[in-house]
Amino acid sequence: MKKPTPKKPSARAVLARLFGASATGIAIEKSVLTGYAMVDGAKVCVIGTCDGTYIDNEAALRLAAHVIQCIERQPKTPIIMLVDSAGQEPNRVAEMLGLASYFGHLLSCLELARRKGHKLITVATGQAVGGAFLCYGMFADRIYALDSASVGLMPIAAMSAVTKIPAPVLEKLSKTMPSLEFGAAPFALLGGVEEVWSAEDDVQAKLAQALANSSTEDNRAELGKKRGGRKLALDIRQKVLAESAR
Amino acid sequence: MTGAILFHELTARQRIAAIADKGSFDELLPPPERITSPYLAQLGIPVSFDDGIVIGHARIGGKKVYLAAQVGPFVGGAVGEIHGAKLTGLFKAAARDKIPCVLIVESGGVRLHEGSSGEIAIAETMRAIFECRALKVPTIAVIATDIGAYGGIGILSTCCDFRVMTEHGRLGISGPIVIEKWMGKKAYDSANRALVWKTSGGKTKYLLGDADALVHDTADAVRDGISRFLGKSSAVSLTAVKARQKELEKRLKKFGAATDPDAVWNGMGVRNIEAASLASGPEFVALAKRGK
Repeated sequence: MKKPTPKKPSARAVLARLFGASATGIAIEKSVLTGYAMVDGAKVCVIGTCDGTYIDNEAALRLAAHVIQCIERQPKTPIIMLVDSAGQEPNRVAEMLGLASYFGHLLSCLELARRKGHKLITVATGQAVGGAFLCYGMFADRIYALDSASVGLMPIAAMSAVTKIPAPVLEKLSKTMPSLEFGAAPFALLGGVEEVWSAEDDVQAKLAQALANSSTEDNRAELGKKRGGRKLALDIRQKVLAESAR
Repeated sequence: MTGAILFHELTARQRIAAIADKGSFDELLPPPERITSPYLAQLGIPVSFDDGIVIGHARIGGKKVYLAAQVGPFVGGAVGEIHGAKLTGLFKAAARDKIPCVLIVESGGVRLHEGSSGEIAIAETMRAIFECRALKVPTIAVIATDIGAYGGIGILSTCCDFRVMTEHGRLGISGPIVIEKWMGKKAYDSANRALVWKTSGGKTKYLLGDADALVHDTADAVRDGISRFLGKSSAVSLTAVKARQKELEKRLKKFGAATDPDAVWNGMGVRNIEAASLASGPEFVALAKRGK
């Protein structure tokens, strides 16, 4: 695992920025976050990852257990999901045990929470890439990102290494196709992030606002079209819906 | 119906034709509409008029279903913006019309050439799948080829109510080549087919309970497997997720330190590994049960 660069705020500093003094109610164990905190005077449940950790079978279970506990003991309490994870570590035993099913289980727990009236808000605080983002963060009602977060499928260098397409070609194309660009801002253009929060923003106020504006209606395709980063998804989906209704 | 041809050898459209009632399949956004990926075009990569996924409605045993089949030979069945939007739309249509939705999976996950768009599309489709589940509209993933269900599509498959697999099918997130690169050949030799299939193949997934049916590698058997679940749904309830939490905790405790997949087979009640390796579909199921 890479050591955080000195510029990067510590996990505790990020939590304090988001939740003030109430951040002490969040436990960090093996870079997995679970606990409760306050947003604008109201209790919220917090789950997440920090330090760009790998999320494995055990981490998924611990996050799921906390969601279940929240559903049982704190009905309708909003759940804030923080994402700073490099994804799943390629591992044979994890695969043999069915890591995909562990992630599917975590998603099912979150879905149950949503159906039972818990609002789900994600804040990408660090790395939010590939499977790590898909297995809980991207499942929220609304998704936000700090502008310092690394959001997206993968950086262009990695994309180039796998697809064998020269990086300069991808770089050039990414200027007109934000889907190929890596980062919170281009991800927001695709509708994948509702809003990017900057270093100057009062993120506690932003979080309170996010909870107030939350909706269970998935608006990402609409946003992607409106912002011009993902022009086709909504129209294709609507075409399927229209043609199948005939 | 398809004679001696195995299900995994068929093309996506042949698979659909072989499991749907004769002449019942009606394709949505069919190839003549020529909806192709602008990303691949810009990169100078051949495009496909269906963007690697066939969707439509059909009947199976007289029951109306929405049906999708991914096209593995086209960029590994990977999910780009259009491919993903077709999939999201289909599950949303299934929720709207309260008609079961069956996905014949053949995909390595997100199409890297299209970057984050495919990733978001998978997340949107997951939401649409759970929309179906909340309405008790059955969602079924069929995983029956060696391309299987990997990456984001592996995770997405586990969101469906049920998974029908053949021994050919593989379900996971990271594929063997990626793991070998990461852990070394000693830890995982991706050329060791027996090990690869025992790690991610249908038999192991069935034993662990991640596949709900293990069927022969024929269209008839796959259709029968799907039919078993068309009238059912698996509720996302507190009781269900608590039971699943316990089961997954137990699995991790029991097999988390196992390096040999045979330990999983033994631990899940298979007495004769060699006989079980040669057994197919329901024969394997019977052997596994017998050992318990």
